[in-house]
Amino acid sequence: MATDSDVLAALMSRRPGFSLPQPFYTDAGFYDCDLRNIWYKDWLLTIAAPEVPKTGSFVTLQIGNAPVLIVRGADGAIRAFHNSCRHRGSRICAAERGRNAKLTCPYHQWTYDLDGSLVYAREMHEDIDPADFGLKPIHCETAAGIVFICLAKDAPDFAPVKAMAEKYASPHDITNLKVAATRSIVENGNWKLVMENNRECYHCAGSHPLLCRTFPDDPNLIGSFEGTSVTVGEDHVRRCEAAGMPSRFYMEPNGQWRFVRIPFIGDACSYTEDGTPAVTKRVGQVPFDNAGSLLFFHYPNTWNHMLSDSVTLFRMTPISPTATQVYTTWLVHADAEEGVDYDVDRLTRVWIQTNLEDQAVVEENQRGILSPAYEPGPYSSLQETGVIQFIDWYAATLQQRLTGRSNTMAAE
Amino acid sequence: MPLPNENTPPWTDDEHIECVMIIPEAPDVRTFIFRAPSGRWFRYRPGQFLTLELPVSTATIWRTFTISTSPSQSLSISVTVKKNPESVGVAWMFDHLRPGVRLKASGPAGLFTLPPRPDGKYLFISAGSGVTPMMSMTAFLFDRGEQPDITFINCARTPRDIIFRSRLEHIASRLPDLKLHFVVEHTNPYEVWSGYRGRLNQIMLGLMAPDYLDRTVYCCGPEPFMEGVRESLIALGFDMGNYHQESFAAPVETAEEVPELADVIVDDTPAEVVFTKSDATVTCRESDTILAVARSSGHNIPSGCTFGLCGTCKIRKRSGEVHMVHNGGITEDEEAEGFILACCSHPIGRVEIEV
Ligand code: FES
Ligand code: FES
Ligand SMILES: [Fe+2]
Repeated sequence: MATDSDVLAALMSRRPGFSLPQPFYTDAGFYDCDLRNIWYKDWLLTIAAPEVPKTGSFVTLQIGNAPVLIVRGADGAIRAFHNSCRHRGSRICAAERGRNAKLTCPYHQWTYDLDGSLVYAREMHEDIDPADFGLKPIHCETAAGIVFICLAKDAPDFAPVKAMAEKYASPHDITNLKVAATRSIVENGNWKLVMENNRECYHCAGSHPLLCRTFPDDPNLIGSFEGTSVTVGEDHVRRCEAAGMPSRFYMEPNGQWRFVRIPFIGDACSYTEDGTPAVTKRVGQVPFDNAGSLLFFHYPNTWNHMLSDSVTLFRMTPISPTATQVYTTWLVHADAEEGVDYDVDRLTRVWIQTNLEDQAVVEENQRGILSPAYEPGPYSSLQETGVIQFIDWYAATLQQRLTGRSNTMAAE
Repeated sequence: MPLPNENTPPWTDDEHIECVMIIPEAPDVRTFIFRAPSGRWFRYRPGQFLTLELPVSTATIWRTFTISTSPSQSLSISVTVKKNPESVGVAWMFDHLRPGVRLKASGPAGLFTLPPRPDGKYLFISAGSGVTPMMSMTAFLFDRGEQPDITFINCARTPRDIIFRSRLEHIASRLPDLKLHFVVEHTNPYEVWSGYRGRLNQIMLGLMAPDYLDRTVYCCGPEPFMEGVRESLIALGFDMGNYHQESFAAPVETAEEVPELADVIVDDTPAEVVFTKSDATVTCRESDTILAVARSSGHNIPSGCTFGLCGTCKIRKRSGEVHMVHNGGITEDEEAEGFILACCSHPIGRVEIEV
């Protein structure tokens, strides 16, 4: 299996502006290196706060080899824990979501309070100090109603993301929305292929006829550069900002995350077949229906769309070198009534179909990369600047974490 | 003020008492200390209360307070009171009682006291200013010069609200069998707290006083607090004949005033549990738990803690009533949906469960 130095050597010899060498998409050692240096180190989007509405509501997910439990405590705080019992390690919650008064291990019933403290271990009182055996906490932060976790011992500073998320996403008031639907699919492709696919719309015209009815595939609008280089983008940003919605392109200096509000095509308002709103109640304080979409990506695991009538969160988690779970959550106004104010089918159709179309292209991409004949190819500097930006972030981040230094870029 | 000599009779309530000292105890809590101007001494039983006549603006009002001194220190008498936003009498005391002010007082009276020969093992449970009679009893037992066996539990909002903390710690440092436990709901930021947190529950009770079944319980606090203590004790099989309580809101003076406690006490009345999946009906007693009935009749209900904490024995009830005293192993939603914890539910009459 490849070692970290193999990964480093491959990084140093990669050709910038080209897709990555084969093992980055296929090799178990490279995948393990990604887990340890990216997935266990960076902040990851998990759920929207309304997915754990009440005391004891929980959601579980899997990050690489780490089962994670997110739960709302009696004090209203949302916390994350390693979903592994301090007795002999059993997974404590197996269900994807639910609500419990206590966190009880199904194996021998060690019982933890919702804040992770061990409150009961049958016939063990003499042997252990419960204070030493609480559930292991995971860094957990909520930004504008979106819950992020970080598995690292020392987490990177989350304050900038939180401040910016609260600024840009506040008109959508995610904290007070409700979950209308969730979907999970597994794409048989490396996680980077899933993100690469998401970072360009070079493929949209060919793959996403339904999405393209409303979503503009102009790379200048949606790519990694300012959405204001074309007048329609600039006009939209001005109009939205005048109405109190922060919208102007903002990218973190290291490129890891971005916010920008883009317009839909024509007078479309939502990702529906005819562009009309999918929900009759607007979310939060969004002042008009045709507010476009606030795009928010955060590497390594999420891209999101916040509209006037709904918010759609996408999170991906790696399963193996060649498999990735993509989880989609649709949120609508808490008072919107299903069947009256919205129809779940209509609300979710475009993205369910788009996800399936992306799954198909990612899986074909993966199959082709597995070919012994695969070699890195050039990204389009017109259409795939977003991919270049993502791969550069990935390479720089991994290299920095493997070497402890950031200035060892390969000669260009 | 003259001191009593061997011929001085005890104080009686025909004489006004004079405030001599005021001591801050905790936020909004003060101890007011009185003496008899004639030099007479005070005779009462630990746990009793005093009624003060307070000349509040236009009217005269009477307020009763449990005595916080011990009768073993008979030269003065004190009450320790907490000011709440609604309190009228206490607000008057805070604003107007100063050393030198004389008040009419009556008593001491009250039935919430230690027995004449207090040689038992005690469990004192109090919340907030309900600690006052316990302080009096503890000081009295200490002053007696024997080695009293007391488990002392006091619950407060935050560590700073604990009344008599250092006095109790001092006494506990000299009495090996005085086990002192504090439970706070919240902690004060930047102050270390290594005691219990949260609300008093059966598990804490078991940890603090493993031998609670052998003890005589004295409980004082707000009614909901005492109700919780009673429920726990009843569920744990405590002999309620050994339970005494006093509400600090309304101390009891005569035997007729002792409240009828409307607690559900499960007894040996016959009952019936119907297991709907196996279509079996098992007769039992109301004192049995559903879990015990299931076990003895060959029905499987997984269990863990067996005292309503872990939630493992959660089952759905189809019909009928149970008496359940749990320890947080079930949410209100689940209860509303008809779930019960088999290990801590007692059947009342006929109960159908989905097992
Ligand atoms: S592994 Fe969880 S209780 Fe034993
Ligand atoms: S066995 Fe633990 S709650 Fe019943
Ligand atoms: Fe796509």
